[in-house]
Amino acid sequence: MSKRLAVIPEQCSGCGICELVCAIRHFGVNNPKKSAIRVMITYPHPVVRMPIVCSQCKLPACARVCPADALRLQNGVVQMVEENCVSCYKCVEACPFGAMYVHEDCGIPIKCDMCGGDPECVEKCPKGAIRLIPEAALGEFRRLNNVLSYAQMKEIEYYEKGEKKTIRYAEIGKEEL
Amino acid sequence: MSIKAGYFRRHLRVDLTEGRVERLALSDDFIEKYIGGRGFGAKLVWDNLRKHGFKRDPLGPDALLVVAPGPLTGVYLPSSGKNSFVAISPATGLYGDSSIGGRFGVALRQAGIDALSIIGRAPELSVLFVDNDNTEILPIPQLKGKSCLEAEGMIREKLGTHGIHVATIGVGGENMVKFACVNTDWGRNAGRTGIGAVMGSKNLKAIVVRGDKDIPVHDLRGLIAEAEKAFKYMRQHKYFKMWQQEGLMNVIAYANEKGILPAYNFKDGVFAKHNQINGATMVANYKIGDSACFCCPMCCGNICLVRDGRYAGTVVEGPEYESCAMLGSNLGIDNFAAVLSANRLCDELGIDTISTGSVVGAVIEGYEKGILSLADLDGREVTWGDEEAILEMIQKIAHRQGIGDILAEGARGITEKWPEMAKVVLHVKGLEQSAYDSRASLSMALAYATSDIGAHHTRAWTVAKEMEQGQDWSDDEKVDIVIYHQKVRPLFDMLGVCRLPWIELGLSERHYANFYGYVTGKEASLDELLQLSNDIYDLTRLINTRLGASRQDDNLPYKVWANPALTGPTAGKVIDHDDFNRILSLYYQKRGWDEDGVPAVDLAEKFND
Repeated sequence: MSKRLAVIPEQCSGCGICELVCAIRHFGVNNPKKSAIRVMITYPHPVVRMPIVCSQCKLPACARVCPADALRLQNGVVQMVEENCVSCYKCVEACPFGAMYVHEDCGIPIKCDMCGGDPECVEKCPKGAIRLIPEAALGEFRRLNNVLSYAQMKEIEYYEKGEKKTIRYAEIGKEEL
Repeated sequence: MSIKAGYFRRHLRVDLTEGRVERLALSDDFIEKYIGGRGFGAKLVWDNLRKHGFKRDPLGPDALLVVAPGPLTGVYLPSSGKNSFVAISPATGLYGDSSIGGRFGVALRQAGIDALSIIGRAPELSVLFVDNDNTEILPIPQLKGKSCLEAEGMIREKLGTHGIHVATIGVGGENMVKFACVNTDWGRNAGRTGIGAVMGSKNLKAIVVRGDKDIPVHDLRGLIAEAEKAFKYMRQHKYFKMWQQEGLMNVIAYANEKGILPAYNFKDGVFAKHNQINGATMVANYKIGDSACFCCPMCCGNICLVRDGRYAGTVVEGPEYESCAMLGSNLGIDNFAAVLSANRLCDELGIDTISTGSVVGAVIEGYEKGILSLADLDGREVTWGDEEAILEMIQKIAHRQGIGDILAEGARGITEKWPEMAKVVLHVKGLEQSAYDSRASLSMALAYATSDIGAHHTRAWTVAKEMEQGQDWSDDEKVDIVIYHQKVRPLFDMLGVCRLPWIELGLSERHYANFYGYVTGKEASLDELLQLSNDIYDLTRLINTRLGASRQDDNLPYKVWANPALTGPTAGKVIDHDDFNRILSLYYQKRGWDEDGVPAVDLAEKFND
């Protein structure tokens, strides 16, 4: 079963370790601007820290616009066929997520290749904000969060051995429709 | 063996008066001797002072501002996002520096710059834009009066929303408040010693950097192996998760327990409602995200949001211990939302949270004691915990309105205007004391007194060790640990990395000597690096003594001699004059300085090349 990278922005601290390890792995240089993943930061409204990385789409917009057949879906990964690339950067503009990158030192666009199945960013992220999970499990994190925010959460206070505590529970089915 | 990599050997020198940008080369000798960061800054400031005959004019056009990352900044190793701002401090009139984390220094390095120095005064309010090899001075007068956050937003709209890093001043800097700071990456502040005022005096609203270059590393494989050892050590540390969750806010509980938390302008060392402003409260009710400096797994930075009440909607990068203690317990504020609001206000206005909390605390106590009249306060009473009046006063400081115009002059200005206030303003050399009480710790008192920038814990922080050790330390041990700290802590500022992995998680400082070797290709032992750091301490002392400082300036706040904390574990303790004089003499002796604290005459030659 293919696996994909899943990003959990709530966990991201913006440290940029993912960028640096990606660049070191692919280019052998200490330069976070040569990575296939970037942490985007918005502040103060809204506060978001979010790594942007290729989703390995099954209908990849990048491949669709490529005039040189340089992007091909192989074993669940959209691979860059370097010798075909003509550096027109149409793919960079076409990606709906902006997950392809350009650096003037590199002839061809920088694109995530999943490190051959063992992504460096997943291993090195100190917050667990980037995960490698089976396709069928995608969305589970958000699903759970969504359940918790959808349910009518109530809070009650109680005492245990004289100590005040609170417990949360979901009052399902009693909301006024 | 000489340095093979790690530097671009580039010094960018900007003269704002003439609008001239020069790209100078840094010699082998220079980078070997001064390493980077504060080392580069101290040397360039020293040269500039020599050129101008040691004239004490920190806000004049001849004053030099240096922005310098270090050779390890931006490199793959723990917490490598640091950068130093160095200048003669308008608060103390002596050597000043302040370091920031975040990513601004990394951008400078990637733009190929090891040191940026700025002199002169721009004819119009301007922005310095360093875009890799191109540097422009852009007059943008529309930024006048804008808060740090507004200014950063406007600059990003003009110069590119991403891929640039912005260091900006607020109204406080424009008005040359003596403790104005420089705000980078939305909320990381070079807070201390009034660097923001220096930028303001130069009509420089912001420095913007875009850097895309590879940072040269001599032995990347060796570096990675060493870095992985350090990262692994940190991740396995029992307090690692706690650091990610609370960051420096965990210190509130600790400081309160030990009786060194500033409460009511250091009238006390404990705060009854410390639970309402501590890390646990923050995590439970206010924290919405983590914020890390570049390449740091600890992510000690917090992002907080006030969800309801009168401060609803307040978002702040922070707080950390100092800000929370100085704007919270030190002012008698037990409402965490109000602390966040005050912190955000300081960030927007671009004034230092530590000094702001300190001078406002002094005003409240001064009024309480009758040193200040209601008329002095412009008819607006202010008391402990009075959030509204305190927030108003913070605004007045940055805008220099009414009493704010005097408070904006910092500790020195306040005590000149009202000499009696010397009893309640806590400062050394004109820099307001940071948030660790030293009355029960002679080594910490010595650390504050002999810090080259004034009463800040950045150079030596020995209070925890002395509190744990009890009073069994000999004078020798106390002096030795202060001097050791004054070597090792500034070394981090020279290398361009954070000291927290070392001081808080116990990551061995030996790693850093190895990092330095892998990055530069020049093997150096930790002792050799510490010696170079010690040389810089001599250099900053030389700067200070040439500018007129001597033994009498290595003094302590009045309260530290006279007014003990009222309650808690440190109650009743003050520093004894004789004890202090004895230990200070011993300190000078061990440093090889004379009885007045002046380094030997021939030492200067070492730095005069």
